[in-house]
Amino acid sequence: MTKQKKGFRTIDLTLGALFVGLMAIGANIVVWLPFLKVTFAGATVEITLQTFFATLAGLMLGKRLGAFSMIVYALVGIIGVPVFAGMQAGVAQLVTPTGGFILSFIFVAWVSGWILEKRNSSTFATYVTASFGGLFCNYMIGTTYMYFALNLWIGGSISYTTAWAMMLPFLIKDIGLTFLVATLARVLVKRVQFSIKPFTA
Amino acid sequence: MSNSVIIGQYVPGHSPIHRLDPRMKIAIIFIFVIVIFLANNWVSYSILTAFALLSTISTRIAPSFILKGLKPVWFLIIFTFILHLVVTKEGDVLISVLNFDIYSGAIWKGLEISLRFFLLILMTSLLTLTTTPISITDAIESLFHPLNKIRFPVHELALMMSISLRFIPTLMQETDKISKAQASRGVDFRTGPIKERIKAVVPLLVPLFVSAFKRAEELAMAMEARGYNGGEGRTKFRELKLKKADLFVLIFFILVLIGFWISRS
Repeated sequence: MTKQKKGFRTIDLTLGALFVGLMAIGANIVVWLPFLKVTFAGATVEITLQTFFATLAGLMLGKRLGAFSMIVYALVGIIGVPVFAGMQAGVAQLVTPTGGFILSFIFVAWVSGWILEKRNSSTFATYVTASFGGLFCNYMIGTTYMYFALNLWIGGSISYTTAWAMMLPFLIKDIGLTFLVATLARVLVKRVQFSIKPFTA
Repeated sequence: MSNSVIIGQYVPGHSPIHRLDPRMKIAIIFIFVIVIFLANNWVSYSILTAFALLSTISTRIAPSFILKGLKPVWFLIIFTFILHLVVTKEGDVLISVLNFDIYSGAIWKGLEISLRFFLLILMTSLLTLTTTPISITDAIESLFHPLNKIRFPVHELALMMSISLRFIPTLMQETDKISKAQASRGVDFRTGPIKERIKAVVPLLVPLFVSAFKRAEELAMAMEARGYNGGEGRTKFRELKLKKADLFVLIFFILVLIGFWISRS
């Protein structure tokens, strides 16, 4: 997409809103695909596609609009629409230890969009780098937030390492997912860019 | 399900709290949340608790319903309390269970932090229980308006929120339809390794993307055909206006705050 420093176009607004909807579905994908509930290392992990769609938002909409639509996602959830994982909503979700992940999606979209714009190529390697950049942000922010949440307002005392150890099973799952993101995003960006191009011009 | 999505947690009603200006509600709750962290003795906590309970009663929503809505955080509140019981070692030993001492300071600290949590979540959920997502969106646009000065696109933010409120149920229905359609065509990855199961997402996502992008494009076209031209000079059908009742509530809240400030030690 061409760089635009000015305001958003109408199509940008609807596409941004679209990704908010996709995030809502990605967060609750187990509702439609119950087989995505996997038992891993003794714990049942519900796969969500939030990181997937956040990365995709960055890759397809660019860093600015991508991050903007993730801000909207967080806000829509906060005002009470059940778009977070497990059909949850409300400020309460941000207060829980995993609330940082919701905020991290803003940076996930920004970073993956930024990497793609910087590299300015559409090789598989670029997409993998961008997706992993997003994943890195996701876990850095999410886990750090969890660490602070548990220590500051819940008042426990766990070490930073323990916080990371708690997230490890999820991280392994997401590393696998990231390759899928990269593959799928590359195909989608090409096809969809093509379809909205006449509009852009 | 899609109907419940669009109204969010809103419970229709005509209580005084329902009729308050959404901007006033957001402002009061925002200040309240900050103030919770400034409370430091039992009098100040009681004042805040009384205010929160008064607001809760004024919504005329069944308390059992509100408490049920807090379900996901009950665990957090109780967990916090127990954690403090175990960790904090201040004050006198009250009870000794199996060589394990529970201190009086621990109970106070635990109660304090749990109460903070409870008040914070209760008040914020009152907002979403008594206000529709659409009016909160309007309020956000109005409250964030000054951010336009630093060139943050406030109007676009609010509009994107409204559009996504419209999109979310539609996309969910669409997902429902597609997943059923694919199942009837024999897509079944219930068994097999995780990698195969994740790949099963693709036959769901591709049709979803096709229809979703078409929708976004059509909507943008329809908006422009009707003359949508950005936020500049756009008028509103629903105008937010402060009423007398809003001012009364504001004055009452300020009095509560003054009382709170005096009671702090």
